[in-house]
Amino acid sequence: MSDKRGQCISGGEILLEQLLIQGVDTIFGYPGGAIMPAYDCLYDYLDRLRHILVRHEQGAIHAAQGYARTKGVPGFVMVTSGPGATNVITGVADAMIDSTPVVVVAGQVSSTLLGSDAFQETDLIGMTTPVTKWSYQIRRPEDVAWAVARAFYIAGSGRPGPVVLDFTRDAQIGKAEFEPRSCDFIRSYIALPEPSDEAIRQAAEWINAARKPLVVYGQGIILSGAEQALEAFLDKADIPAGSTLLGLSALASDNPHFMGMLGMHGNLAPNIMTQECDLLIAVGMRFDDRVTGNLSTYARNAKIIHIDIDPSEIGKNVPAGLGILGDAKEVLTRLTARIQPRSCPDWAMEPILCNAVEKHKVIDPEIHPESGPLNPGEVIAAVSDRCRGEAVILTDVGQNQMLAARYSRFTRSRSFISSGGLGTMGFGLPAAIGAKIAAPERTVIAFLGDGGIQMTLQELGTIMQEGTGVKIVLLNNNWLGNVRMWQELFFRERYSCTRMLNPDFRGIAEAYGIPCVNVESRDELGPAIERMLAGDGPFILNAHIREESMVFPMIPPGKSVDQIMLNAQDWFEYGD
Amino acid sequence: METESLYEITAYTENQVGLLSAIAGIFTRRSLNIEKLLVYPSKIEGIHKFKILTRASETQIRSVVLQIEKKVDVIKAYYAIDTQRSDQEIEDVKDFLSRREETNR
Repeated sequence: MSDKRGQCISGGEILLEQLLIQGVDTIFGYPGGAIMPAYDCLYDYLDRLRHILVRHEQGAIHAAQGYARTKGVPGFVMVTSGPGATNVITGVADAMIDSTPVVVVAGQVSSTLLGSDAFQETDLIGMTTPVTKWSYQIRRPEDVAWAVARAFYIAGSGRPGPVVLDFTRDAQIGKAEFEPRSCDFIRSYIALPEPSDEAIRQAAEWINAARKPLVVYGQGIILSGAEQALEAFLDKADIPAGSTLLGLSALASDNPHFMGMLGMHGNLAPNIMTQECDLLIAVGMRFDDRVTGNLSTYARNAKIIHIDIDPSEIGKNVPAGLGILGDAKEVLTRLTARIQPRSCPDWAMEPILCNAVEKHKVIDPEIHPESGPLNPGEVIAAVSDRCRGEAVILTDVGQNQMLAARYSRFTRSRSFISSGGLGTMGFGLPAAIGAKIAAPERTVIAFLGDGGIQMTLQELGTIMQEGTGVKIVLLNNNWLGNVRMWQELFFRERYSCTRMLNPDFRGIAEAYGIPCVNVESRDELGPAIERMLAGDGPFILNAHIREESMVFPMIPPGKSVDQIMLNAQDWFEYGD
Repeated sequence: METESLYEITAYTENQVGLLSAIAGIFTRRSLNIEKLLVYPSKIEGIHKFKILTRASETQIRSVVLQIEKKVDVIKAYYAIDTQRSDQEIEDVKDFLSRREETNR
């Protein structure tokens, strides 16, 4: 227990004491005027609180997100007011839509100056309210411990999300008696809704009666720690399952029930099976438009059971015949007890047919090309194979992301971290720093494009200073690849503003003291991966990939999930 | 296209700075105009009440009400076309709060 209990200490010090009580060990941050009193207190706590000095506040929040998603605890960010605070907003919005627990403390001008347009004053609460689970301005040292305890409870419980605390300078300096606080109850907020027995009984009945049931799951499985519960459920009822982008790694890639990824660039099998199933069981996912395609035809033959912890998700996009409100692990465990053991022979054909076509038409040409320039998928598959599916895979946004999702193998949960809902370019590099700090014993690979890496390139400085052993695989073709692909397919090859003149990345790496190797041909790839993984330190593998790289299969925007392009010419025709 | 009607939304909340703008933002994001807005102490001590009139489809209203209720400091939110249910709501909110207090014990 803290020896500061009962003492009169400054608000800044109360913050740090309460952070220790919350179990925080790492602060991702950047100091500045309005947060300086708290940083001054931190000087005496650096033996207990590791501070990672990022190079831009956006890097701090993405690193905290990577940390939170790897470790399963809230990430913590400390920045100054004004620009320091506005620079974290992209990451706060990202954490909101991807349900990532992070707590941000931002400095604020003294309460006496609020509303006076003081230097570096900005209405942070006003700006972050729509993209936070909770935001609160701390104006008195007496409120610090309470607000921090409440912030961590809200961020980490129920459907997790970001919390912003706007901490005025005078509340950091002023003193109050420190009384450690804990928070596990707020009367207006139900973190864990109690699933209805009746709904579970009804769901079990539907599952027992279904001929072709399909599970579609999302990150809710990981957030709830329901990986084993899901596996047991699928085993008992012999139900195949497809994952959303953020659900990846909740089931091992070689799990016999795992059909692959859903949605726009997902695998054929789970998308086709969505249209063929007579019962769709959605768990901890929110029917994002990238998953559902055209909503009016989505799962058109199926009754739908939607299991989610957030009442506002049930029925939001897809009308659920049956909604079950509750924690995924609890609901799945109770459902498993209720259902009959069985097998689903009616599903025999779909996966075999779909997988054969996908392998022949898409996967083999992408990862085993006979000649020509390197394909991005080929690089990803080679790295993933070499890591035997044990690495934490981070991505940026775009083709690198979709291909990393498609061609990475996973053997354990919390191994795929990507900006899903917001699609934040620049996420990958700083998030990888946070992931490596959260799990130093694991190999952390960041697949980045040449566009995304340059949005937060300055974080190479953080890697240099901290010696963070992030392995960066740069899929470099001097194009904004995903936009270029859309221009080719949907904008009559009018390549508007997508060609990039890039710097010498090896020269940049060298300036930061990070080893880097350029890979230009197939022969160089294997040895470069070996070299990258040989040491514990950071590394950049700069892979020169095919300029006109594409990501297939693709469900074009607005199409149904069974209207799938296999390449620029061919459409998948199931059942013909 | 679903037909639009004038709905009355009521929300029972903690008395917190910023809640008005948090709730208003839910309407703005969906381009819903607030026709009438009242915020006042409810019949339950320490609990505030929002009364909001807006024109929308029932699907939109249902989603708005769930989003309002999702705010940490909102206790309960309701919607209806008729407005004869205020006492019923008060009983419902009281019941909710006493059950919550029990959970916390």
